[in-house]
Amino acid sequence: MFAIFQTVTRRSQFWKNMATSICRTLKYFQPITCQNIKYAASLLDVRLVPVLVPVRTKKRYFIPPAVNVKERTQTEQETKARAAGVVVRQQYIERPINISCTAGIFDPYVPPEGDARLSTLSKEGLKQRTEQLRQSAASQLSIRKIKDHDPDFSTKAFPELAQQIFIDAHAALTEFNKEKLHSLVTERCYPEMVRGNRYKTLRWRFVESLEPPRVVHTRCPDMISKGNLYGQVTVRMHSRQTLAVYDRFGRLMLGDEDEPRDVLEYLVLERHLVNPYGSWRLHGKIVPAWAPPKDPIIKTVMIPGPKLKPGDEFESLNYQVPKPKAVQWYK
Amino acid sequence: MAASAVTWSGLASIGRACGHIRSRLLGSSSTLSQVSCLHTSPELNSKHWERRNLTVYPPQTKDEPRRPAEIHHCRRQIKYSKDKMWYLAKLLRGMTIDQALTQLEFNDKKGAKIIKEVLLEAQEMAVKNHNVEYKSNLYIAESFSGKGKYLKRIRYHGRGMFGIMDKVHCHYFVKLVEGAPPNVEQKTGFDQAKEYVQQLRNRTIIHSL
Repeated sequence: MFAIFQTVTRRSQFWKNMATSICRTLKYFQPITCQNIKYAASLLDVRLVPVLVPVRTKKRYFIPPAVNVKERTQTEQETKARAAGVVVRQQYIERPINISCTAGIFDPYVPPEGDARLSTLSKEGLKQRTEQLRQSAASQLSIRKIKDHDPDFSTKAFPELAQQIFIDAHAALTEFNKEKLHSLVTERCYPEMVRGNRYKTLRWRFVESLEPPRVVHTRCPDMISKGNLYGQVTVRMHSRQTLAVYDRFGRLMLGDEDEPRDVLEYLVLERHLVNPYGSWRLHGKIVPAWAPPKDPIIKTVMIPGPKLKPGDEFESLNYQVPKPKAVQWYK
Repeated sequence: MAASAVTWSGLASIGRACGHIRSRLLGSSSTLSQVSCLHTSPELNSKHWERRNLTVYPPQTKDEPRRPAEIHHCRRQIKYSKDKMWYLAKLLRGMTIDQALTQLEFNDKKGAKIIKEVLLEAQEMAVKNHNVEYKSNLYIAESFSGKGKYLKRIRYHGRGMFGIMDKVHCHYFVKLVEGAPPNVEQKTGFDQAKEYVQQLRNRTIIHSL
């Protein structure tokens, strides 16, 4: 036991000596590294541990603007900054591309002019014109292609599903439930639905459907590579809805909560057919050229007028406010 | 004391954690600064001035009086003294926006030009983003200046002495409210004197005979 005690003390003595010598060498180097690095090289002992070269690693949160800058061009300033040790992180110029949906509506459906209007034409003719999905060969071909990839698809059951997706999507929009909305609506349609609504309150209600929804148009475009199929189906929906939009302060901006309106809509739903986990999502709406103009908003808006010369008066110019052209556009 | 400490730490944590999340005022107490029972001092106000534009009020019913729109705007780190800016801020309190813009146009101070830019920006923001109908129908409800971050430099004196020179910066905050400005009753000195005398006369001596 005495022998073990002795070896322990000897070992501890050895470590103590080692420790003191190391401490002394570190103390020797500390003041040198603090003061002037130029003289450290002469005092370096090659046998010992390599000297710690100080590097400024503390992040400067505020760098005051440089006064009397001699280097004017960007490259000169960059070289000077790099020499000083300022590290600028590599900038990634990236643009995200979304492959789960297409960027638009391909070969859009042009709704016939007399749709859902009481016209003087014969009823039978109108019915024939509007109900004939079979007329379009391209639609039939695309339906067949969709059925290849998705065997559950049928033109009879799909419109109901489409209407349900529409109602769910708009309900999620009123609650602003982002996750649910993304699952029901494609990435192309999402910003169009959501833009400007962040600080507004929406109140939307689906009262009833006036006519059963129908599939009127289908297309199967393939993007970039040949096999990458997306299916786009246009569904015609005639329904009654109420919408009221309130601004940030709770004041009514548009619409009326109690007054339902008859709405004829052409919805476009899309699905990435090749993706086994894809689902039918709302992709956009087609607003026909003959659609009635929307209600004006409740507030008065200033629009830019013509540039007046010094002697002119606005009233004498007879300025006509330019009306937008009636073209079909997509929402 | 404990209550105020809790709210101060709560506010600080909210400010740090979720500065970009919009706050919805739907009867919940998630936005602590909107609840009137809490103590909101000017220092706390100025940190979250931009965020006050993100509160959303619940829709009003038809019989409620129309809530006036409030637009908060500020400019940070203006190279001007906060004390000098205070004079301009005090001048504009309670004025309509057109009146304020005309006054600033013909004011000789350096801060006047900057405040004019801020007011024009705020007016444009109000019409574009906050659903204000008429751009002249705004008045300045609150206007004040705050201290910004100072830069320190050395000012050389004689005999090897030096002083630390502060390069002063300030912030300017403004709140525009839709509608006509409220009428502030102008009290003359005579009225105030009369009130004072009346107060003296209302004093009673208690427990007297």
